[in-house]
Amino acid sequence: MAMIDISVKILRYQPGKDEKPHWQVFNIAVEDESTILDVLNEIHWQHDGTLAYRRSCRSSICGSCAMKVNGRNVLACETPIHRFGRKLKIEPLSGFDIIKDLVVDLDPFFAKLKRIRPYLILDKPAPDKEFVQSPEQLEQIGESTLCILCAACSAACPSSWPNSEYLGPAALLKAYRFIFDSRDDGADQRIEIVNDKNGVWRCHTIFNCVEACPKKIKITEYLSRLKVKVVENSL
Amino acid sequence: MYKRTRFYDFTYYNFIGSWAWILHRLAGLALIFYLCLHIWVINSLTHGEAAFNNVMAFLNGVPFKLLETGLWGVILFHAFNGVRIVIIDFFKGSLVHKKLFIVLIAVAFILWALGSYLILQHVQWRAG
Repeated sequence: MAMIDISVKILRYQPGKDEKPHWQVFNIAVEDESTILDVLNEIHWQHDGTLAYRRSCRSSICGSCAMKVNGRNVLACETPIHRFGRKLKIEPLSGFDIIKDLVVDLDPFFAKLKRIRPYLILDKPAPDKEFVQSPEQLEQIGESTLCILCAACSAACPSSWPNSEYLGPAALLKAYRFIFDSRDDGADQRIEIVNDKNGVWRCHTIFNCVEACPKKIKITEYLSRLKVKVVENSL
Repeated sequence: MYKRTRFYDFTYYNFIGSWAWILHRLAGLALIFYLCLHIWVINSLTHGEAAFNNVMAFLNGVPFKLLETGLWGVILFHAFNGVRIVIIDFFKGSLVHKKLFIVLIAVAFILWALGSYLILQHVQWRAG
């Protein structure tokens, strides 16, 4: 491990003080194996304690630290700086209003998630013990269950940027996850919600969500299956 | 709280999928423009044979033949990327969407070269 000098350009916004966001450059020395989060911690702890950003688990599972680095959405905790070289440009996620510095307002994101009712809906009585699912039935929902709700996908989606009504890839993926779950009985309700101009049909297969997903979930593939399901349901 | 303006984020990195989408949209707009132009040209028929022949003579010039090869390219891109989108949405193409883009655009390029050759054969090149 060796120390290297890097230049970090951060989009800053202090509510009550700044009218609009502005860039601030920090020239600092960090270990070459640092992550983006290490860099932010170094700035926060040693250079400017007013820098605000979200972080929690440091293990790419809580989904708190999604941000835009050199034009791409990443999780700060799992992304090594050598992926971007010695010049970093760090911004809050696109498409969301800024609360402070790198902290964005995710309320609209979670409101959309709630709209598709992200929990098991049962028409029948629940079994006495556990639900039984075959490997094939589990395979159907597969990696769609791995979403950590970091919002990197929705913030990378060009269909989401100009349209705040669009459900976005994360909520639609969650809809897929429950519609295709063999234990769930709420498919019809959810299909009605996603079968809308601001639902699954607003997905233009741009694949930015897939590129941004830190869990490498093939979101567009699942949304395509959802489109087919919606069409089949209306026949 | 700072309210973000909601528009395309030009600072976001464009991957193959986003380039395909951007170019598909631009090609669509170009085709709408062409359709308007086409209707305008056909409209000249209502002004009689001479007017139509005058317009056609103008359109047979070298600049318009070159533009026609561009139009042929735009049509091919829009059509082949459209096929790619259908394959992605209904035939599991999302798992190979980058390869699909490269293969289909390569086929479109070959057709463009062949078509352009045929179009330019009709150009009345100036002698000299």
